[in-house]
Amino acid sequence: MNLASLQSSNHRSPLRLLARGRPYLLLACVILLVASGLRAQQANDSVTVDKQTLELMLQRIDQLEARVRQLEADKQQAAGVTTFFASAPSSLPAFASTSLSASSAPSTVLLSSPAPAKPAAPMLMGSVQSQPTSPSQATPGQTGAGQQQEPESSQSENVMAERMDLSKTLLRIRGFGDVSLVGGNRQAFPPTNQLAQTTSFALGQLDLFTTSDISDKFKFISEIVFEAGPDNIYGVTTGSYNTFTVDIERYIIQYSYNDYFNVSAGRWHTGIGYYNTAYHHSTWLQTTTGRPLLFQFEDRGGILPIHSVGVTATGLIPSGPLGLHYLAEIGNGRESRTPLTAEPVQNVIDDSNHKAFNLGLFARPEKLRGLQAGFSIYRDVLSPQNSNRIGETIMAMHAVVVRSNYEWLNEAMVIRHSILGQTKVYNTPAFYTQISRQFGSFRPYFRYQYINAAKTEPIFPDVGLYEGPSVGVRFDASEFVALKLQYDYTVQRQQPNYNTVTLQIGFTF
Amino acid sequence: MARLASLVIVLGLAALLLAAPPRETAPAASHPRPEQNIPTQPLAIVVNRSNTVDDLSMAELRKVFLGERSHWPNGRRITLVMREPGEPERKTILKDVCQMNESELKNHFLHGLFTGEILVSPKILATPVGVRKFVFNVPGAIGYLRLTDVDNTVKVVRVDEFLPEDKGYKLHVEVRLAN
Repeated sequence: MNLASLQSSNHRSPLRLLARGRPYLLLACVILLVASGLRAQQANDSVTVDKQTLELMLQRIDQLEARVRQLEADKQQAAGVTTFFASAPSSLPAFASTSLSASSAPSTVLLSSPAPAKPAAPMLMGSVQSQPTSPSQATPGQTGAGQQQEPESSQSENVMAERMDLSKTLLRIRGFGDVSLVGGNRQAFPPTNQLAQTTSFALGQLDLFTTSDISDKFKFISEIVFEAGPDNIYGVTTGSYNTFTVDIERYIIQYSYNDYFNVSAGRWHTGIGYYNTAYHHSTWLQTTTGRPLLFQFEDRGGILPIHSVGVTATGLIPSGPLGLHYLAEIGNGRESRTPLTAEPVQNVIDDSNHKAFNLGLFARPEKLRGLQAGFSIYRDVLSPQNSNRIGETIMAMHAVVVRSNYEWLNEAMVIRHSILGQTKVYNTPAFYTQISRQFGSFRPYFRYQYINAAKTEPIFPDVGLYEGPSVGVRFDASEFVALKLQYDYTVQRQQPNYNTVTLQIGFTF
Repeated sequence: MARLASLVIVLGLAALLLAAPPRETAPAASHPRPEQNIPTQPLAIVVNRSNTVDDLSMAELRKVFLGERSHWPNGRRITLVMREPGEPERKTILKDVCQMNESELKNHFLHGLFTGEILVSPKILATPVGVRKFVFNVPGAIGYLRLTDVDNTVKVVRVDEFLPEDKGYKLHVEVRLAN
């Protein structure tokens, strides 16, 4: 039986320890055992039993056995970590799996254990190599450190390369931000805790957009947003104007099987209409200084379920030059307790077992590049406390043309709330149209928007009527910095009309 | 509401006026023009030899190079290989395939990654040799090389049924001038 067979038959054998280059431990055990035996013989011969010495030796043996067990445990822990890394190559991002054609084999990666840096670790790593061994390597006398030196150095290089690649490909971060100077004559409105608009500098959202190619098929996307100011839920303002909050706005694990089937889980922007999935939490990407009122975020006075938590599937539909795409989402839907004082996105628990779903279909014809037209239907059942359940249906349609030189966005929708068990139905129509054209670094734009909610609307009675035009110009001061000047005129049913002027610098970094 | 309707109609008409073909949709100058007197050579679209795709239409090629198609028919992820900004080969691809300039392409990918529609951004390589090696090593890779830089380590695909040496081939790049 050679060393290799011994190793395979008994992973914890002393010989294996010896083979790992730890002969001193085994030697110490043997010496102590022999010494104790000799002493016992001498004791028997001389009939003098030195019990104290024997006990000391036994204690020493116990200590050494404990030490061996500890080393074995360390080794097992290291092996556990290497198992994780051994599975890594198959799940490495495309970058690693592709650009490293000459990268280390899994057996080499197996040796990339980031176990605590103990002095003996390199020798342990070298000795567990499972490469085919030549007969000369199999002899115990040739398993010393000198024989392992060369493989160890190459393995160390591979270990470093692997670690560097992992750190390079795991996470990408891009930031977006904006700072504005806002002035206007909007008056205070105590019923909704709204303050009067003064000429103010205003910090916009600081958005950290992170992505990670977890593997060839899996991808992670998130948006972490730091924002100042109070929450505004359906027109009612709560919280402090001067504190920052942090929101995880998007948090998605995406599996991409092919162009026809992509499924994601987590928190995403609901695929209602166009704007919500085309522009997220960055003003720099948008032509204007902000989203249309219709697509305003839930905690900024918006009336749509902008965010959802659940599962979504998207992909192409084989349709030739028509370029049809589908969208299917199922999620928790929006919080429906009344009165609402916190963000309506149900991140952890749904207030009912019913799930919201959204189905969409849109076309991107090849012959009309930049055109996208489609519709979506969103359905949920809201369960307000001390009230009948309310059926919510949102029917949206859009037709947009987006090219690098110009854009024309048109979206219209009806938000329909029906109190179950009654015949009363509340329809809230809304639309916006936005048009812009690029002239060198300048891009003038115009937008008109309209929302008309009934005073007795059961979910957002404080919203009422919002209507008015916006005119502005965007100037791309550099590749990643945009200056925008925008004028808004807003008509409201319950408050005086008002004007707002915004000067904004939006950027990405 | 009548005012609104009028406004929307006016906007629509304005949009129609604006919808004149922009710069980017101008017909691709894909053939070398004799009046330009600029010597050109074909720019080959190359893929890994294991790739089963033999032919791509210009529209498909555009979708691939804009990240709008992320998988090959066999399900393998497409890995785009681009040359560095300013290289003539890249200019040809931007002009004739992507129909965008550098800034527009950058915005396109940034926006696409942000929305999650584009799964991966292009790999930028500095030399034709690098492109060739990358495409050779990566099964899902697609890139472009001057025909003189192509060897048997990569596979040339037809574009609109034409090979680079065919008369009707649309992608050409200026010939390198020796210093």
